[in-house]
Amino acid sequence: MNVKPINYFEASARTRIACLVDPESFTEFCPPELRHISPHLVRLNAPVAFDDGVMVGRARLAGHPVLIASQEGKFNGGAVGEVHGAKLRGLLDKALIERPVAVLLLVDSGGVRLHEANAGLIAISELMRAILRTQSAGIPVFALIGGSCGAFGGMGIVSRLCTEVIISEQGRIGLSGPEVIETVKGVDEFDSRDRALVWRITGGKVRRALGDATRLVGDDIGAFRAATAELLDKHAGRPLNSSDLDDLTAAHSNLSIRAQRYDTARDGRIIFQEAGFTELESVALLPVDDFNRQLEGSP
Amino acid sequence: MNRPSSQPATWDREKQNYQARLARGAALASGRKVSADDIVRLLEAVIEPGDRVCIEGNNQKQADFLAKSLARTDPALVRELHLVQSVLALPEHMDLIEQGQVSRVDFSFSGQQAGRLATLVEQGRIKIGAIHTYLELFGRYFVDLTPKVALIAAQMADRDGNLYTGPNTEDTPAIVEAAAFKNGIVIAQVNEVVEKLPRVDIPADWVDYFVKAPTPHYIEPLFTRDPAQITEIQILMAMIAIKGLYAEYGITSLNHGIGFDTAAIELLLPTYAAELGLKGKICTNWALNPHPTMIPAIEAGFVQSIHSFGSEVGMERYIAARPDIFFVGRDGSMRSNRAFSQVAGHYACDLFIGSTLQIDLAGNSSTATKGRISGFGGAPNMGSDARGRRHASPAWLRAGREARPHAVMPRGQKLVAQIVETSREHMQPAFVERLDAWDLAESSGMELPPVMIYGEDVTHIITEEGIAHLLRCETPEEREQAIRGVAGYTQVGLARDRRMVENLRDRGIIRYPRDLGIDKRMATRDLLAARSIKDLVLASGGLYNPPKHFRNW
Repeated sequence: MNVKPINYFEASARTRIACLVDPESFTEFCPPELRHISPHLVRLNAPVAFDDGVMVGRARLAGHPVLIASQEGKFNGGAVGEVHGAKLRGLLDKALIERPVAVLLLVDSGGVRLHEANAGLIAISELMRAILRTQSAGIPVFALIGGSCGAFGGMGIVSRLCTEVIISEQGRIGLSGPEVIETVKGVDEFDSRDRALVWRITGGKVRRALGDATRLVGDDIGAFRAATAELLDKHAGRPLNSSDLDDLTAAHSNLSIRAQRYDTARDGRIIFQEAGFTELESVALLPVDDFNRQLEGSP
Repeated sequence: MNRPSSQPATWDREKQNYQARLARGAALASGRKVSADDIVRLLEAVIEPGDRVCIEGNNQKQADFLAKSLARTDPALVRELHLVQSVLALPEHMDLIEQGQVSRVDFSFSGQQAGRLATLVEQGRIKIGAIHTYLELFGRYFVDLTPKVALIAAQMADRDGNLYTGPNTEDTPAIVEAAAFKNGIVIAQVNEVVEKLPRVDIPADWVDYFVKAPTPHYIEPLFTRDPAQITEIQILMAMIAIKGLYAEYGITSLNHGIGFDTAAIELLLPTYAAELGLKGKICTNWALNPHPTMIPAIEAGFVQSIHSFGSEVGMERYIAARPDIFFVGRDGSMRSNRAFSQVAGHYACDLFIGSTLQIDLAGNSSTATKGRISGFGGAPNMGSDARGRRHASPAWLRAGREARPHAVMPRGQKLVAQIVETSREHMQPAFVERLDAWDLAESSGMELPPVMIYGEDVTHIITEEGIAHLLRCETPEEREQAIRGVAGYTQVGLARDRRMVENLRDRGIIRYPRDLGIDKRMATRDLLAARSIKDLVLASGGLYNPPKHFRNW
């Protein structure tokens, strides 16, 4: 059967869920017809969305029960406001009751919704705490990143808290976005128009080479599905033990080694170099399969 | 014979003046070579007050170092200049005017400086001779605007001063031809000086001086359009263009204007047009810059030839690897030539299609807005009927028959199409009762409102609503209603006479997507042969090397 790849990057939040999970297995919580809209946007006379830019629900993926959320990057850059955040946090709370194999977060967000200021910040901190609580209850949380907004600001932190991070080459993870850094620190610090540089610093390939992402996949919803299914198989029936002290200590020491090693690095090239890539200029164009083969084959 | 014998006629005053200038410059040069440190003094030595000066530059390459150097000359020495050049695009061009060194400009296009130029004109600090099309200005180089000093840009020189202008040859041959053979001084800035050039584009004995610029001349990647930004409305318009215009007339030779609307057409050739069985029947021969969005169509075998006005940053290796398609020198690199490509676009192409900002009820279109004198560039030459054309082609003959069904003498007509969304950004209507060009002409004291393409030359208008075959209209009233009929929900569109529009539809003058058998729901990004810059790179087999700010990997 010849299945046409469906571009993850361009798909809407709803299309992503529809193509990712098993057919007709998705049930949405707080669907748009209930019109849970942002009260803050209404007061500012700004456009609202009936799902406040995120859909949450229950589904099956390769037969495994999952809870799933998908952010709509085209609505306010996927930014997290009060209602949006509450839906995500509520989903994670529900996981404690339903105990799915995993919670999947399809992240496509620039971070906190600035219109909602403190309410957005509180939502993000609640979300972080909920992820840690879910994981300590033994339920893994996956971040899937491949939309145009990437995972920035608070959602960058949220993504890195996740048990597994599946990213495409177009996906990005970071804290302050390139434009913000350029505005605050100047173009010499970070030229946000140098898109190749932006991707060498925040993009999927460099995040995979650094170990920030656990899987790098092609820009195709089918590829995201395959990687997610494989990781669900891995986690199913094996409750997460995230409070293992040895694991945490090891992770922390790895982070401090990494912080020292790349302290003066100005470009992702050095990370590719240390990851064993020889032709640095061609890394950007390397097909995903070749990249993964070279990366995993490296010492 | 009454000639006074005491005073023999002098026929070489210009030549003597030329030699005097060279003599003044000699001390600052070693042969033809001038060092970057001496270039300001050299310009002061060879330029005389009142000179006509051409600083080469177009929408792509710019003699930017020479422009900067000229702006650093002593205004007491270098003054009353008459700039005769394609574009006034660099800040230095405006600096020269503000420093009082320029008394008059004749040009074609001003791009980013359009606002500053309008201010200088309104303040009375500069007089504009005329705003031309490229070809028109090149023509005047050989009649009444011959440059006395030409400051040009080349990629490389050898030690003798032969120049390699390579893929971005652009305007150089036209400028040098006019200056060098009419006692003008030709000064070239080059990126590098080499032992042996890949090929000689301009021979050394047409060049008086060359200087290695401290930084390579700037080239704008003007024709690169990221497929990721193409909208479904643009895709729908591209479907209408392909089925309702290209296939209808069997258009094989054409020129595309710049923009996302035409990029969408290019990306639909290997998909939608191929599905319609149009490969080999349309779009085979082009006058066109090397648009990266043409790569999938070229790779699919749609295209037979492309001659270019200039090159495009990042396309060099791809072009060099496709010499059957592009005009490539014996050395393997492309050569462009704006003058020849403009001639090709005017006389040898059956269709021009491009976007615009405003269209009035007579079909006149303009990109002028108040407070900005932006000029024309090449579009009016492409977008006008070539009245001097004498060779026939099926598309040209058919257009002629449709436009003049009752004419006794058979003659063809060029197809000139405007492709616009009915509303632009910020819901500005593309269709207006009165062009802003009228206001600009008043505030800037122009003799003519700056109209890019005259209504009488426009044969088709394509919007997301449909296509209007203006050439099939019999009266100005019909024409107006045909335009209103595709103007959608703009004020102009809402004021249409529904009965007349339905009548025009019955007669095939207005055709909506459903009349053409186009299912609007098919207009999705899935139809694009490439959806990102990266797809273009992959389609080129890695030969296309996009500028870094177009990449997202």
